[in-house]
Amino acid sequence: MAGTELAILKGITLEIKSGESAAIIGASGSGKSTLLGLLAGLDEATAGTVTINGTELGALDEDGRARFRGQHIGFVFQSFQLLPALTALENVMLPLELQGQSKVAELAQNYLQRVGLGARTDHYPLQLSGGEQQRVALARAFASRPSILFADEPTGNLDTKTGEHIIDLLFELNREEGTTLVLVTHDNALAERCQRRLRLDGGELMQE
Amino acid sequence: MSITATKMLARDWRGGELGVLVMALVLAVGVVSGISAFTTRLQNALEQESHRFLAADLVVNSGRELPSAWLQEAQGKGLQHALTLQFPSMVYAGEDTMSLASIKAVSDTYPLRGEMTFSTEPFGPVLAAESGPAPGEVWLDSRLFALLDVAVGDQVAVGDAQFVVAAAARTEPDQGSAFYGYGPRVLMHYSDIPATGVVQPGSRAEYRQLYAGEAATLAAFNRWLKPQLEEGQRAVTVEEGQPGIGNALDRAERFLLLAGSLAVVLAGVAVALAARRFSERHHDYVAIIKSLGATSGTVNRLYGSSLLLLGGIATVLGCLLGWGIQALFFYLFAEQLPVQPGPSGMKPYAIGAVTSLTCLLCFAWPPLRRLGQASPLRVLRRDLPLENRQAINDYALGLLAVTLLMWWYSEDWQLTLAVLAGLALTVGLGFCLALTLLRGGRLLGMSAGSIWRLALAGLQRRGSANALQVVIFAMAIMMLLILLLVRTSLIDEWQAQLPDDAPNHFMINIGPEDVQAIEQLLRAENISSEPFYPMIRGRIMSIDGEELPSTDDMEEGRRQRESNFTWADTLPTDNRLVAGEWWPAGTEEPLVSLEEEFADRMDLEVGDTIGFLIGSQPLEARVASIRALQWQSMRPNFYLVFPPRALAAFPATFMTAFHLGATDKAFLNQFIRRFPTVTVIEMDIVVEQIRTIINQVSAAINLVLVVILAAGGLVLVAGVQASVDARVHESAILRALGAQRRLILGGLLIEFATLGLFAGLLATVAAELSVYILQTFVMEMSYTPTPWLWPVGIFSGALVIGTLGVFSCRRVVSTPPVAVLREL
Repeated sequence: MAGTELAILKGITLEIKSGESAAIIGASGSGKSTLLGLLAGLDEATAGTVTINGTELGALDEDGRARFRGQHIGFVFQSFQLLPALTALENVMLPLELQGQSKVAELAQNYLQRVGLGARTDHYPLQLSGGEQQRVALARAFASRPSILFADEPTGNLDTKTGEHIIDLLFELNREEGTTLVLVTHDNALAERCQRRLRLDGGELMQE
Repeated sequence: MSITATKMLARDWRGGELGVLVMALVLAVGVVSGISAFTTRLQNALEQESHRFLAADLVVNSGRELPSAWLQEAQGKGLQHALTLQFPSMVYAGEDTMSLASIKAVSDTYPLRGEMTFSTEPFGPVLAAESGPAPGEVWLDSRLFALLDVAVGDQVAVGDAQFVVAAAARTEPDQGSAFYGYGPRVLMHYSDIPATGVVQPGSRAEYRQLYAGEAATLAAFNRWLKPQLEEGQRAVTVEEGQPGIGNALDRAERFLLLAGSLAVVLAGVAVALAARRFSERHHDYVAIIKSLGATSGTVNRLYGSSLLLLGGIATVLGCLLGWGIQALFFYLFAEQLPVQPGPSGMKPYAIGAVTSLTCLLCFAWPPLRRLGQASPLRVLRRDLPLENRQAINDYALGLLAVTLLMWWYSEDWQLTLAVLAGLALTVGLGFCLALTLLRGGRLLGMSAGSIWRLALAGLQRRGSANALQVVIFAMAIMMLLILLLVRTSLIDEWQAQLPDDAPNHFMINIGPEDVQAIEQLLRAENISSEPFYPMIRGRIMSIDGEELPSTDDMEEGRRQRESNFTWADTLPTDNRLVAGEWWPAGTEEPLVSLEEEFADRMDLEVGDTIGFLIGSQPLEARVASIRALQWQSMRPNFYLVFPPRALAAFPATFMTAFHLGATDKAFLNQFIRRFPTVTVIEMDIVVEQIRTIINQVSAAINLVLVVILAAGGLVLVAGVQASVDARVHESAILRALGAQRRLILGGLLIEFATLGLFAGLLATVAAELSVYILQTFVMEMSYTPTPWLWPVGIFSGALVIGTLGVFSCRRVVSTPPVAVLREL
């Protein structure tokens, strides 16, 4: 693609308050995932800044952003992104271990109990159903006590009924932990449950 | 973190690429340390073997009695010692029966190295003896039993002393090749010499002091001894082993080192391929843990420690495998090796460990290190390209590492360069050829049927990846072909040297009047023999009119020498002229043809004139030619050959060589009774020993070939696996679109077989080049082109790669496409 410049996101200004829940909705290819990648510090913007809790992500290098993600950010992905080599418990322990916390096993066990998987801690992802895998991912996301949680189409790979359970669980945990939630989805019903809804269309953001 | 590393390793084992990685490492360490330990121990054994031919580590000899003070000095230093005395004398059995014999008296401790053999009846089954005859007893050469008409238990006399015949003497470690000496052997105890009264001052006798012990002590003793040696006293240490077996084993050793070096290269490539695939498959893992807050340092530590752990396990397993390989070789050898091989020490295993470390650092680590740079954005976008930009640097690093390893390992830059030349040719030509041919294939394929279009489109789409794959396949195939070729020509040459009916007995001192009768007898008994060669003993006295010194002290240089002459009108079989010309049949000119090494030793060239003394008659002859001989052939060979007319005036005896099977040995008793003046020399034990050693070395070489084949196979598997993911993915899409099983498998078969075909072609060209260099410069054998290699190389390449490729991708037609697509 050398020589061709492609602007995916244009002139976006967005502020999300601590403890707030916001949904970014838009059609496929509207730039939702790109925006999420930038907000969460997974990617670098060619122009503009992202500031979380007073830290400007653009000023950090990749390793600095990785440390920042570890301390402040949690993720829930459409395709779960569990490590197949680790058990449910080990998957939840992983971010805690990366932060160098102690008593990680107890903490992880506690969160797995809260998502209703207390009895399946030794199972590997492939031995769990899609809904169960996503519950492990929720436990992993909240276990590190992030100040902000990004969820990328969290029900995209699940059937409607299972998806609703996951969403209930997500909002329940969010309420209990007081986490800021940024959710990307094309599902209007899901977006309805957030305090704010933002529509992304052709790279431009509109408040609904 | 370490718990996660071990966990990850354990679970990744199922991924397959980790298995290839570990197996490649284990095989590299195993082959390298195994071959190294084997050759170390073999060298060790050979050195001992050459000591065996001296029966000691150091021998002092003289025509007069040697000072006993030397023995005391040696004893004081903790060295072992033994004495022998050799002299010619008559042996009597009763009043009238007698024979001239070569008597050897030995002390209790003789031999210090090697062993003597005897049998309880003449020419009977051979037994090993710790020491020689007891005082009052003698062992007689087998043929003396017939000549003296005695049996074990009878009495014989030497000088004034009577002895009981206790056994038949068969071999002594230091009997050497001096069988043109005085006559049949009689062994007696050293303490019996005075009683015989035969050895007087001035008698013709050879006194020897034998010493053996620890190398450093012996060297010190030798330094102490050297200045005290008087004229006529000579100290001999082991300089080199037996040329015959030594030469064969030397080549075998080089072959093994070559095989080991190739194993290093192959394993290195397999490790690199496996690590690369491992790294590609782990990009997603890394993206996840990075999104969870892992820094690139954490990732590197995680994979670094995994790799170290893996390397440690593989090294230990590899050393065990290496120990097993050399133990297996020696298990095959044990019966045949004349001496027990010493321990190999830790060095071979250290070499194995260094190989493992180098493979890890130069082949496995570069692709894994790049994992640290993987983008966490892959958690959102799976289609992000992988980081592979530094691949060229990796290859350069790998090549350098391989070169250094090969050189360190073989300590032979010619060998290293020969293999490198083949490698360079493969890589350089390979990329150009593969890219051009694969592009040409596309144009050709446009109008072809559907399967072909699919296959050739696939080849073209992954052009440079395919070129790399072709080069890797070609490298593996090339190395296998090299080994196969060198092995085949080595073994062929050995077998040609010693066919099953190679002569194993010599007959000398045949009177001209007996020649016809003996020829008839041999024919009647169905014994195959060489032609009868005339033999005249004479002495070289002068060169170009200049009298030579008569000293026997120096091995090299011009001095008077005794030798056996023969005459011939045509160049003897197996002889090759290296200088001058062969004389026309019937020439009357006084000419002589010399053996190459003999001419070197005497510093003689074509055109020089040599003065001989035969009996008491002088003869002058001009050097007409110089010949190279095959000493290993066991056929009668002569240093000096004259035209028949030049020696017509001198009395000659005849000699021949013949083959006698182990079950036909009784023939000799009958023969010696009928022709008592003929001397028969048994070489069957030696010939058999050489043959068994060569057979065992051949077996070892074949075994190594199998191990290397496994290494080559691993590279092929790793190479195919490297591209399986992309191909399976594409095939799954085609499946989903309704493509038939036949179309997909056919397309894959053609795709992989085409790669294999190109690889086979490249490999064959490069193998011919490498083998040419190896044969000519390293093995010092003659090179002949091998036309059969071309079809074999090319079609086996296509067949093996095609089959492996289809086999590796087979799951795409056996699982629903959705499952494959979701998984990837």
